[in-house]
Amino acid sequence: MIRNYFKTAFRSFLRHKVFTAINLLGLSVGISASLVIYLIVHYELSFDKFEKDGDRIYRVVSIMQFPDQPFKNSGVPAPLPAVARNEVPGLEDASHFILYDNAKVAIPSTNAAPKIYKKQDNIIFADDHYFSLFSYQWIAGTPSSFTQLHQVVLSESRARTYFPFDDISQAIGERIIYDDSIEATVVGVVKDLDEITDFSFKEFISFATLINSNLKNNYGWEEWGSVGSASQFFVKLKPGASTSQIENHFVSLRAKYVKDEFLTTDHLLQPLSDLHFNADYGNYNQKQADKSVLYGLLAVAAFLLLLGCINFINLNTAQASQRAKEIGIRKTMGGSKRQLIFQFLSETFLLAFISTLLSLLFIPWLLKIFSDFIPSAINFNMIVEPHVIIFLLVLLVVVTLLAGFYPAMVLSGFQPVTVLKNQTLGNNTKTRKAWLRKSLTVTQFAGAQFFIIATILVSKQIHYSVNKDIGFRKDAIVNIGAPFSKDPGLRTVLMEKLKAIPEIESVTLAGTPPAYTGSSSQTMSFENGDKKIETTVEFKNADEDYFKLYNMKLLAGRFPRSSDTTIEYLINENYARFLGFEHPEDAIGKMLTHNHPFPIVGVLKDFNSKSMRTPIAPLIYTSAARNYSSFHILLKPHGDDGALWQTAISKMRNSWNEVYTEDDFEYRFYDQTIASFYENEKNISRLLSWATALAILISCLGLLGLAIYTTNQRTKEIGVRKVLGATVQQIVMLLSMDFIQLIAWAFLIAVPLAWWAMNKWLDNFAYRTTLDWWVFLSGGSIMLLIALTILCLRTLRAANANPVRALRSE
Amino acid sequence: MLQLRNISKWYPAGGGRTYILNNLDLDVSEGEFISIMGPSGSGKSTLLHIIGMLDEPSEGKYLFFDEPVFEMKEKQRSKLFKQHIGFVFQQYHLIDELNVYENIETPLIYQGVGGSERKAMVADMLDRFQIVGKKNLFPAQLSGGQQQLVGVARALIAKPKLLLADEPTGNLNSKQGESIMELFRELNKEGVSIIQVTHSEKNASYGSRIINLLDGRIV
Repeated sequence: MIRNYFKTAFRSFLRHKVFTAINLLGLSVGISASLVIYLIVHYELSFDKFEKDGDRIYRVVSIMQFPDQPFKNSGVPAPLPAVARNEVPGLEDASHFILYDNAKVAIPSTNAAPKIYKKQDNIIFADDHYFSLFSYQWIAGTPSSFTQLHQVVLSESRARTYFPFDDISQAIGERIIYDDSIEATVVGVVKDLDEITDFSFKEFISFATLINSNLKNNYGWEEWGSVGSASQFFVKLKPGASTSQIENHFVSLRAKYVKDEFLTTDHLLQPLSDLHFNADYGNYNQKQADKSVLYGLLAVAAFLLLLGCINFINLNTAQASQRAKEIGIRKTMGGSKRQLIFQFLSETFLLAFISTLLSLLFIPWLLKIFSDFIPSAINFNMIVEPHVIIFLLVLLVVVTLLAGFYPAMVLSGFQPVTVLKNQTLGNNTKTRKAWLRKSLTVTQFAGAQFFIIATILVSKQIHYSVNKDIGFRKDAIVNIGAPFSKDPGLRTVLMEKLKAIPEIESVTLAGTPPAYTGSSSQTMSFENGDKKIETTVEFKNADEDYFKLYNMKLLAGRFPRSSDTTIEYLINENYARFLGFEHPEDAIGKMLTHNHPFPIVGVLKDFNSKSMRTPIAPLIYTSAARNYSSFHILLKPHGDDGALWQTAISKMRNSWNEVYTEDDFEYRFYDQTIASFYENEKNISRLLSWATALAILISCLGLLGLAIYTTNQRTKEIGVRKVLGATVQQIVMLLSMDFIQLIAWAFLIAVPLAWWAMNKWLDNFAYRTTLDWWVFLSGGSIMLLIALTILCLRTLRAANANPVRALRSE
Repeated sequence: MLQLRNISKWYPAGGGRTYILNNLDLDVSEGEFISIMGPSGSGKSTLLHIIGMLDEPSEGKYLFFDEPVFEMKEKQRSKLFKQHIGFVFQQYHLIDELNVYENIETPLIYQGVGGSERKAMVADMLDRFQIVGKKNLFPAQLSGGQQQLVGVARALIAKPKLLLADEPTGNLNSKQGESIMELFRELNKEGVSIIQVTHSEKNASYGSRIINLLDGRIV
């Protein structure tokens, strides 16, 4: 029976090639988008799911309550873990480890120079609980051998990098030297985690090694007041233990051990499953996923799928009259309604199945286009994984029902007598079903217009963010970071060399550029008579040359004088106002206190020190030269070919290599740094453009199908009208008017929706572009233009046809 | 075999009703070959459709093998129909997407007949109507007479007790028409009851009884 259905279906597809092609294309676009999005979502959601009892594993994180903003950090004070392990009940296991990145690794050799690896990452100092809390497979050695001073465990891949042994267990007993000071012997090799995880650590040095070295002072050892993300603490709760109780225990711990706490600090438990998503705490510099983006993607997938289904419903119900005869015959031959519904559903299933196969062809291409957006672990081979196959099957059933159910009900509902007696039945029911077809079409176009408006607006905001006057110069500036660990004297040496390069207009050594992603903040207090104003203030370091280079404006006073440590403050306009000074001049000479009081010597005009998402906040510049770690270089204007800048950069590279022999020269143009603040928005914009293009494509395919159908239906009417003297334009207008009305309705629906949604999105920005009326209007116009073009393809042909022919064939 | 009592069918028209069938009684016994005649609009086709359970009267009672048809549920009626009635149309009404073999096979599929049994039955039928050579052709590739032959074969495949034919020769030339009528006579001899609607006296003469309809009444 199914075979018979499929056979009929196939032949019916072949007979209606255009409609079938429209349906196939629409559905397969929707299905391939859904599949790719499913792969992304599934991948992102499966992070660290493999961990045994993962639902009981938490990371202890810290929140420091600064006066007006809580500061969240993924680490804990170094003394906390040892105390917590002994005194907090309800913990089954707990592991403390310290991140140790950018290490210089040396593999000594008896008869040759040591092998050196610069800037090795993914190294941690792990306590002996690490391997009991997190599951690793041991290739050589055992967890119990990893308890002593000067021991290290390597992952297999890391061990193979360092040592040439075929049998990697021979690496046991080899020596490794870190940063010329810490020596460790390999006592174990573990398999790399091949599951999806953010735990990418490859080198585990025993905790005792750290405690016995001076390095521990870098991590604020024994200091309860210092919180750094390098100090990571994971706990595994006993079954049934409550997180809030344990968080309360941390409060009592702090009360017990921390005297005279300057800032209230809370420790919270972050579930393992949250690590990959929570940007507040970050995740070892791994690329995190944003759940709201994932939900957005799912919505896009569902919408595209829905558009394809709508095309199917519209074309099938529109065409129903053509199939009415077959239905009538089948019923007189004994086909029951249920059998007919089943037949039509199996037909839809077949179409959806072919669409799925077709969509598989699109997948490699989609993966390539979005390669910088899609996690690199996702590839085409994943489609044979069981969960993907199950997903596709479910999708197939859902699409079949969504697209096929309504048409099947309509078609199988025909009464055989009416059909067989009167072949023009289709026209009678047309008006009855038309409202549904119309509302579905309106839905499609409302969605498409929504996407167009959103795309325009996101681009507009990006354009605004990048081009807004942010209060300083950003073109023709190159930034170079000086190696932090090297002798500060070398900076002055390089500085002199850079000054000698003729292509460089000016150069200065200072802290971070005016706008920068990272920042350091301190709590400042100001005594105004009997009132004390305390607030968190961003700190930056620079002297006069810097402000001139960046073209920043002084409102009052002067720029701070160069000195080794802080002696005076330059504050921004915002902070001056915050402190209650009506005129910038009033602030000059007033004292601000962090540890010691220093005077305010100048007020700087406000500028954006962060992206447009963040409002301008209180900020202080000091000229503490020992914090200068970055070269700011203004290049001379380049000619047409940009050769001047090329030369400048290669000269800078040479100078750098003369001064810093061990480090690589890295530079960045400042305008690119600023543009990179909006990487996320650019990704969203690109995704939106694609979603928009696909939505327009599918909707217009549907429109084309309906246009073909109506012009066929009205062939006779068109013929009569032409005989009566109608012009081609009049007929094109007549045929297009219905559709234009639908687009107008869709516009009315799309505008408020888009307005609401885009307002919400713009709320992310402190400085936002305007929601101009032309954005909405152009959204509607673009849609109208595209739709009219599509319609003309068909209506022009119908209007130009010889009327005699149309009338004769009737 | 079947009894119609007080069958009326009307449509509301203006203030009153337009009657298609007006208070009509009819008894048909097994083995009869009845021809319904009458001018256009006299209600012939409607009567046939009512007998074939494709249409319902506005009023009246219908017993089929002593069972009240219009009091049955849709499912039972459909079962009764599938088992006992075959339909032949003036416009043949073959399914364009199916070839000859598949067209004939379709009623069996709806009755849930198994695959191998279906094969045998269709092969028999093709053989009997001498259209084995055409089994892979599609309706558009056949002449009118051949199409109607397939239509009849399809109507008979499920071995119905009653064959209903609505002007089966209406679209055929006289020679083709004659051969269909001969076929009907033969089928009737084999025990199939036949009710046909026709305009042609000659065709009517093949039957055992003629019913004349005028304005919805038997005259």
